Amino acid sequence: MTKRNYATVNPCVMCQPMGSALAFKGIENTMVLYHGSQGCSTYMRLHLAHHFREPVDIASSSLSEKGAVYGGRESLKKGLRNVINRYKPKVIGVATTCLAETIGDDVPAIIREFKEEEGIGDDPENDIIIIPVSTPSYGESHVSGYIKALDAVVRKFTEKSEEEGFVKTPNGKLNLIPVESLSPADVRELKEILELMAGNYIFLPDISETFDAPLRDDLPKIAPGGTPISEITDMPNSRASLGLGIVSKNLALEYLEELHCVPGHNVPIPIGLSNADSFFTELVNILGCPIPEKYQKERGRLLDAMVDVHKYLYGVKAAVYGDPDLVFSLTTFMLELGMNPVLIATGSKSKDFGAKIRQIIEEIRPELEPVILDGIDFDSLNDAVNECSPEILIGNSNGRYIAKARDIPLVRVGLPIHDRVGAQRILTVGYRGSLELLDRITNTILDATDTFTAPVQARPAAYASKGTEEECMEEAQ
Amino acid sequence: MKEKTGIVDTLEERQPYITRKQEQGQIIPLACDNNSLAGAISQRACVYSGARVVLNPVTDAVHLVHGPIGCAGYTWDIRGAKSSGIETNRSSFSTDMKEIDVVFGGEKKLSNAIDELVGLYCPPVIFVYSTCIVGIIGDDLEAICKTASQKHNIPVLPVKSEGFKGNKSDGYKAACDALKQLIKRPQKEEAAEKKPEVKPEIRKPKINILGDFNVAGDVWLVKPLFEQMGIEVIVSMTGDSTAKSISRAAEADLNLVQCSGSMTYLAKWMQKEYGIPYLSASFFGIEDISIALRKTAEFFGSEEMKKKAEEILETETNRIMPEISRVRESVKGKKAAIYMGGPAKALTLIKGFAELGMEVVIIGTQTGKKEDYEQISYSVRDGTVIVDDANPLELAELLIKQKADLMVAGVKERFIAYKLGVAFCDFNHDRVVEFEGFDGFVNFAREVDASINSPVWKAVRQRTLKPEAMKSERKSERAAVKEKNSRELEKNSGELYAKKYKGMVLKPEFLHPKSDAAVESQV
Repeated sequence: MTKRNYATVNPCVMCQPMGSALAFKGIENTMVLYHGSQGCSTYMRLHLAHHFREPVDIASSSLSEKGAVYGGRESLKKGLRNVINRYKPKVIGVATTCLAETIGDDVPAIIREFKEEEGIGDDPENDIIIIPVSTPSYGESHVSGYIKALDAVVRKFTEKSEEEGFVKTPNGKLNLIPVESLSPADVRELKEILELMAGNYIFLPDISETFDAPLRDDLPKIAPGGTPISEITDMPNSRASLGLGIVSKNLALEYLEELHCVPGHNVPIPIGLSNADSFFTELVNILGCPIPEKYQKERGRLLDAMVDVHKYLYGVKAAVYGDPDLVFSLTTFMLELGMNPVLIATGSKSKDFGAKIRQIIEEIRPELEPVILDGIDFDSLNDAVNECSPEILIGNSNGRYIAKARDIPLVRVGLPIHDRVGAQRILTVGYRGSLELLDRITNTILDATDTFTAPVQARPAAYASKGTEEECMEEAQ
Repeated sequence: MKEKTGIVDTLEERQPYITRKQEQGQIIPLACDNNSLAGAISQRACVYSGARVVLNPVTDAVHLVHGPIGCAGYTWDIRGAKSSGIETNRSSFSTDMKEIDVVFGGEKKLSNAIDELVGLYCPPVIFVYSTCIVGIIGDDLEAICKTASQKHNIPVLPVKSEGFKGNKSDGYKAACDALKQLIKRPQKEEAAEKKPEVKPEIRKPKINILGDFNVAGDVWLVKPLFEQMGIEVIVSMTGDSTAKSISRAAEADLNLVQCSGSMTYLAKWMQKEYGIPYLSASFFGIEDISIALRKTAEFFGSEEMKKKAEEILETETNRIMPEISRVRESVKGKKAAIYMGGPAKALTLIKGFAELGMEVVIIGTQTGKKEDYEQISYSVRDGTVIVDDANPLELAELLIKQKADLMVAGVKERFIAYKLGVAFCDFNHDRVVEFEGFDGFVNFAREVDASINSPVWKAVRQRTLKPEAMKSERKSERAAVKEKNSRELEKNSGELYAKKYKGMVLKPEFLHPKSDAAVESQV
């Protein structure tokens, strides 16, 4: 096993600004602008376009050498002006890159100045709202970029506390805020559940349409959909917030709790039986309504399927990797299914990851002793895979090199998935999503074991004596 | 109205970058070769990206990115450049700079990373790319690389590619500067002097191919053509190259430059430094391949070689012509839009489309220079729109206005075309089949055919199902029958409905569109 201390080989995380785009793109009529050099926006657009197969427009302040020396003030202002001119957004998320942070631009101050010059006010109804978020690439990862951007959005739209004159008018709604980007299909599923159970809810950020847009008669400049701004401003009035994800801190949810006294609850991303159960239980606790028959049936179907496939999955050694909370939920599910997650890893550096994973193992299968890693790159994952010898990999497309080298299958979940179609429609949450994932994992294992145990013969024995096709034809004649 | 303000609705400052070739063949001035406009959403990347795409196909090199994780992450194995051997280049190496490195400098981490990677991979060369923050905090890349080179006795080459210090073209130059250091002064002059009895005719002619990156294996369809002519291809830069093959480049008699934007600089340097002349060439499309082979044979002046070239051209053209003609029949008259990174590819595509009987209506590049656009404007028909450093909104509007049937570009443009119902062909890193050489051109033709003639475009003409509209349409056509039917419909059951409409419902109107009205209404 190679141990590296200085070089990162094949990164397992993306940088913070990319995460911020995943969050901003889930807000109605929003454009994203990276304050930095031109390449950042192009690379991240490419990355997201590969995954979602949608046009992804992200602006850049295109900092040049001059900008880097004398400050990016004018470039940023010009960028904002041009984006407003061409895209007419209601919101612009301005995420910084390492260049902007290192030259020390005071982005909030530049934005204030810009607003004054252009006569832009602070009224979400009439004015363009510009939201800065500090996301240098040398800090943390895309996961933190996502969380920070959501926090910045919620703060911007709900910054007035009650002492400052904010009048709370309870709306009976439920806020739902994930800590990691879910697929558009996942968001759709969760919205459907909330629609049926809560009726009134606010989902932030809603990428179900913006990153999985139907073909329409026109090509709008900004993809329609996303969480309406009026709803974000309404979040302090909600009866409660439900955060999805328990490893990473949900900054937006905590802010709403601290400043606006909206009670916050966190449950794991609802993948797998117990996680989906916790999600529904929490909904019942908050909303005081029973679980609809539809979901009881879906739960029953999941149970039925778990029974059907239990023997195929029991003891199957798996390696799972990706973003911390996704990995946590996937691990829980695998433990419930009787699989043996021998290697559990995340690319993000996270103090809580190991503790939470160990805790869930203690609860479900205390006899297992998996390798748990955080802050990894794919090279160290490869080393760990070589040591743990899993029979299946579960994670994003970047694990394909390892899967191929070891000749084991890969079940694709997470981001990026750029070597297969349909990443935007991969459903893993709720009972239905868990069921789909379960089928995928099982069928992948069946595919693999079929191949290993019963290789298809080049010439099946039954036909071996009959000669080639041509000879057969001749004989027949 | 709009014609007065510009060809497309865009920012005032962008207008000089878009022009239309007018009649009378006058040269239209087109602004180009400038830094991208802030907020305009350029499709360009940065200096680092320019350097990375040029160098990344060097298969046995460790490409170490000195910077935060993003720069290395987004460029991990993106080039699609194939290797016939080692594939070290497909891994992504980074120093993953953190805040502490930004504050205290990343030099120590970099030199440790180099030591570590040498120990693990034993590469014959390491390219060390600098990124934006390295340019700001001032790590002395050159000194570190020099020390490391001496310590490990391999070239450790700094690539000065700070993202903000120019544009993609500056990155090409930075890459060439690194390649220059790999090329060794050949021993051949001395050898030739020592053995004057070796006649020059006996020595096999040698060339390099500059600016071919072996995407999807392109080079492997081109090299054999020259080998059949009795020419040795020392190295293709940088597709499927190794540190060793690059080091031999100066032994060549001639450089053929395909991607002019990235490699002309290196070719000029080799001419000055080693007296190796260069010719521009393209290996895409029958016409350009023919020109390339003939030019090369002409250069060496050997009658035998010329004869051989003609033989190859005849056999190969005859071999692929049936398939090309078949495709030509099914795509001729269609309109193509070209948006490429470099001008060389754009230019050769104009000819390629002509060979398929197609017409180019939009042509643009990210990094074209004045003389490139002049050449482009000579090569295209009147009415073609020429654009530099286009953005998504401009491209979308142009595709509609110019009524393009197919776009050739990269991934970011693909989904713009698709959303507009325009066929698409990827000529960048994402393609999986070769487009160069004779078989490559067949692949290209087939891909164009597959995209243009797919029935999905008919399906997407009508984006929303409007059964009422279909009903009223039919009503006007066969009013009397319809009146009776609808009257019966109201009182009769669904079964009868289905019976009455049997045969009609099978062929909904949107499967047989009468015009391109749907496409035009998208503006």
